Amino acid sequence: MPALLREHAEQQFAEELAELVKTDKRQRPPNWKLSPWAVATYLLGGKLENGFTVSPKYIGSRRVIEIAIATLATDRALLLLGVPGTAKTWVSEHLAAAISGDSTLLIQGTAGTAEESIRYGWNYALLLAEGPSERAITPSPVMTAMRMGKLARVEELTRIPADVQDTLITILSEKTLPIPELDSEVQAVKGFNVIATANNRDKGVNELSSALRRRFNTVVLPLPATLDEEVDIVRRRVESLGRALELPAEPPALEEIRRIVTIFRELRGGVTGDGKTKLKPPSGTLSTAEAISVVNSGLALAAHFGDGKMRAHDMAAGLVGAVIKDPVQDRIVWQEYLETVAKERKDWKDLYRACKDLNE
Amino acid sequence: MVTVFGIRHHGPGSARSLRAELEKLRPDLLLVEGPPDADGMISLAGLAEMVPPVALLITLPNRPQEAVYYPFAEFSPEWQAILFGVRAGIPVRFMDLRQAHQLGVETPEEKDEGLDPFAMVAEAAGYSDGERWWEHFVEQRREGGTVFKGILELMTALRAEAERLPGGVRERDLLREAAMREIIRAGQAQGYQRIAVVCGAWHAPVLAELEYFSDDAKLLKGLPKQDVAVTWVPWTYDRLARYSGYGAGIASPGWYEHLWRTDEQIVEQWMVKVAQMLRAEDLYISPAHAIEATRLADTLAALRGRPLPGLPELLEAVQAVMCFGDDAPMRLIGEKLLVAQKMGRIPDAAPTVPLQRDLAAQQKRLRLEPSASPEAIDLDLRKPLLLERSQLLHRLGLLGIHWGRLREARGAKGTFHEIWQMEWKPEFAVVVIEASLWGNTVLEAAANKVQAEATRATELPVLTRLVEGALLADLPEAIPGLLTRVQQAAAISSDIPHLMEALPPLANVLRYGNVRNTDASMVTQVVDELVTRICIGLPAACQSLDDEAAGEVFEKINQVQSALAVIQNEAHEQAWTGALSHLADQERVHGLVRGRAARLIFDRSPEEAVAALRMSQALSPGTPTGQSAAWVEGFFHSSGQALIHHPRLWQLLDTWLVELPEEPFRAVLPLLRRVFSTFSAAERRQIGELAKNNGLMVVETGEIDVDPVRARKALALVAFILGGGTGAE
Repeated sequence: MPALLREHAEQQFAEELAELVKTDKRQRPPNWKLSPWAVATYLLGGKLENGFTVSPKYIGSRRVIEIAIATLATDRALLLLGVPGTAKTWVSEHLAAAISGDSTLLIQGTAGTAEESIRYGWNYALLLAEGPSERAITPSPVMTAMRMGKLARVEELTRIPADVQDTLITILSEKTLPIPELDSEVQAVKGFNVIATANNRDKGVNELSSALRRRFNTVVLPLPATLDEEVDIVRRRVESLGRALELPAEPPALEEIRRIVTIFRELRGGVTGDGKTKLKPPSGTLSTAEAISVVNSGLALAAHFGDGKMRAHDMAAGLVGAVIKDPVQDRIVWQEYLETVAKERKDWKDLYRACKDLNE
Repeated sequence: MVTVFGIRHHGPGSARSLRAELEKLRPDLLLVEGPPDADGMISLAGLAEMVPPVALLITLPNRPQEAVYYPFAEFSPEWQAILFGVRAGIPVRFMDLRQAHQLGVETPEEKDEGLDPFAMVAEAAGYSDGERWWEHFVEQRREGGTVFKGILELMTALRAEAERLPGGVRERDLLREAAMREIIRAGQAQGYQRIAVVCGAWHAPVLAELEYFSDDAKLLKGLPKQDVAVTWVPWTYDRLARYSGYGAGIASPGWYEHLWRTDEQIVEQWMVKVAQMLRAEDLYISPAHAIEATRLADTLAALRGRPLPGLPELLEAVQAVMCFGDDAPMRLIGEKLLVAQKMGRIPDAAPTVPLQRDLAAQQKRLRLEPSASPEAIDLDLRKPLLLERSQLLHRLGLLGIHWGRLREARGAKGTFHEIWQMEWKPEFAVVVIEASLWGNTVLEAAANKVQAEATRATELPVLTRLVEGALLADLPEAIPGLLTRVQQAAAISSDIPHLMEALPPLANVLRYGNVRNTDASMVTQVVDELVTRICIGLPAACQSLDDEAAGEVFEKINQVQSALAVIQNEAHEQAWTGALSHLADQERVHGLVRGRAARLIFDRSPEEAVAALRMSQALSPGTPTGQSAAWVEGFFHSSGQALIHHPRLWQLLDTWLVELPEEPFRAVLPLLRRVFSTFSAAERRQIGELAKNNGLMVVETGEIDVDPVRARKALALVAFILGGGTGAE
């Protein structure tokens, strides 16, 4: 078999899952492959009784994962919210892999997602030849999950048009999917549930209706807690992306990344790193993912138009673009930041100059 | 027989178990951990007018700032024990080392807090901290039974461990425990048979060892002793949350109160409470939400291996189910829910509080007796005694005791007089008692209150008013904290008029050094930041204003201008001029503001050409007439000098006026009249002259008849005044 570009979670971590099943003595909810405690161990990592070490899949707050698992155990649907780059999809995939042993029952939400992809579609050749029949139905991942008692995943729920989203209401509250054409229905088997993810900063794309919203427990995945953690994430991603794009540039100095991440964190948090000065937060997200792209574009600039070493002026353009999303309010925020914070820092002179030049 | 009950201070679970045990035991003497100095106060606790939270306050009569508080809430085990005893007619006594031995005595500060026994137990049991462990194992128990026996055993083992470690038990604790034992022995000597002892769990193991009385007597010998004053004061949950006399405060009195008042279905009732509070904030929370949140909290507790959901599980469930993962709604009700703002009451029979005594002393010293009939007094602030009176009245005002109300200062600015309308109202007595929780002297209380208000305030003008108040009341130690808050609020405020309003008082502080003992560099920094932010934000803030808003901004710009003139800082001037030129040239800015900006620039560097260009644009036919007129008002407001001395400006204005068609002319006429009425009479006359002469300055050059004889006489004097030599011709 040719090497896969990317394996599913349950393939990649098959060994860990098998070991967990072996040692897990606790009570499992119906149709769960693991007990809630073992699921938590799978996601957060730990050492099993038999000495086997489970690698952590999610680095961050234990609390968040516990709420997510407890939600799925209460048969309420789970909505993972977070800005880009907070591992929503990653957590959802691993939860499905650990609980149902199957992370493939997936609906990718887009503006073009239709009702059929959530409920069921038809095999039109059969439909025309035999009329509506069980055989002519093409089940959606949700329908499959209901029949098998597994977890279905909906990615980017808020990108799906509102009327299509609402198809989920009956499924989540009545746990049944009517098929009026056949005058029948699919009733969910125990173990069925839905994990949805959404970006909480693009509110207003297709806001959830309050009826649907009430059927979800919502867990917000936080941004990285510390500067070092975030710098580390950015560095790893930039290095791997740099390799993939084969940029002829030196890997960026850790100090440069640290500066970018510091600016992002300070503006995002509305306070300087030392906690002394309050700042106005800009309207944009300033997610870790954006920090990664700022460093990347700076690297590309340095590679193609500079001497291959990323400097302040290579980053400045990307930085300003990331911060200033609203041309009026954010410009004030950014200027204030430059004048009251960046200007005061001795080793930031080059960056201050570079950004100032762009402003004028 | 002596029965020791080890409790956790302010623990509702302990209180519940303790009540049950006391009912069972029916002791004939009840000893409660607390200052024996306050034994006389115990009977007051039973009065109906006494409503917790309250605190015992012990002070030195001559140094009221030396004070110690012992707060009690409804759910404090000590309070419940006292109530039980007082209501059942059982003698109740406090038991501890007297504050008469401790208060005001400099103790060598014990740096290390000693070992925290609960932290060790909690760590062993896999909990993050001792409080959580205790809460889980003791407080959440709903039935009494053997809990106190278990605590005693556990504490005995822990004490044994701690005593083997150097510094495991604090010196002060040993001393206090010796004093407690002495009081127990005294009870025994008086023939009491069933003595119940209520104390912090940590002390419980050693209080039963009563045989080594001579050691205790030796320890307690020769302690210093002084007179103390004791009384009850009202307390608040807020203060209970921050600190209590027993060391660490409790984080969530509201939750504890709920635990104490609720007998069953604690989680369900809590969720209903949260739902109701959120509904009161106009968030639509259905009973279904409360049901789902309860289920999630229970599941979370099970996942974490707890018998009952604790506060963290409840709050997490609320956030996930009711608030859709958002923490903003919780912030909205958080304080109300968790701290549950509540203030206690004390009966009239309680002795006067130190603040009352301090106020009386000051009234006497400043010869300012309270009188119920209104009268006005005039204070000349240059006289020290009168200045002190003014400061006292300002301080009382900050405390909400409006004995005097400041009338608008008469006459021009900078007067040294304050006129106060004085009237003492009976209800002030109550306010004084309430204010006593802020401190024991007027000075201290006012400073504390201002600081507390500053931490709560988010609006910049409120904060600057507080700064002003603190300056008038002469509270130098409150100023640095206030300035920090101003700085923070300024940083996140996007309300430029607010920022502009905040600048003048601070500029005055800088200019006149009004702040005693205040770090001037700190004020400078705040002012620097304010100016920077104003200059950056002003152009954007002046977009699309209506007439009224433009009028306000106009005023603010003038204020900032005069504030900057006071400070005289080159960098500020430059930034300000930059912001003004931006304003003057922006299309969408209101005429009034643009005119003012153009004028301020013109005053600074009288380049006629630039000003003329701006004026010509503002008055050109493309600009709506109303805007042009507003521009003229902004430019020439309260001084016609520019008009008189710069013929080109005159010419432009003249041309515009002359070419106005009839209708618009009528429309702008009242406005122009208003502008011209702000000029001085002399200016108006000169302008009239100019108009008569078609804009040309008429210089009188005609011959003047001079009487040489009389002139010569005057010349001598003129020369003398000018310092010249003799009366030369």
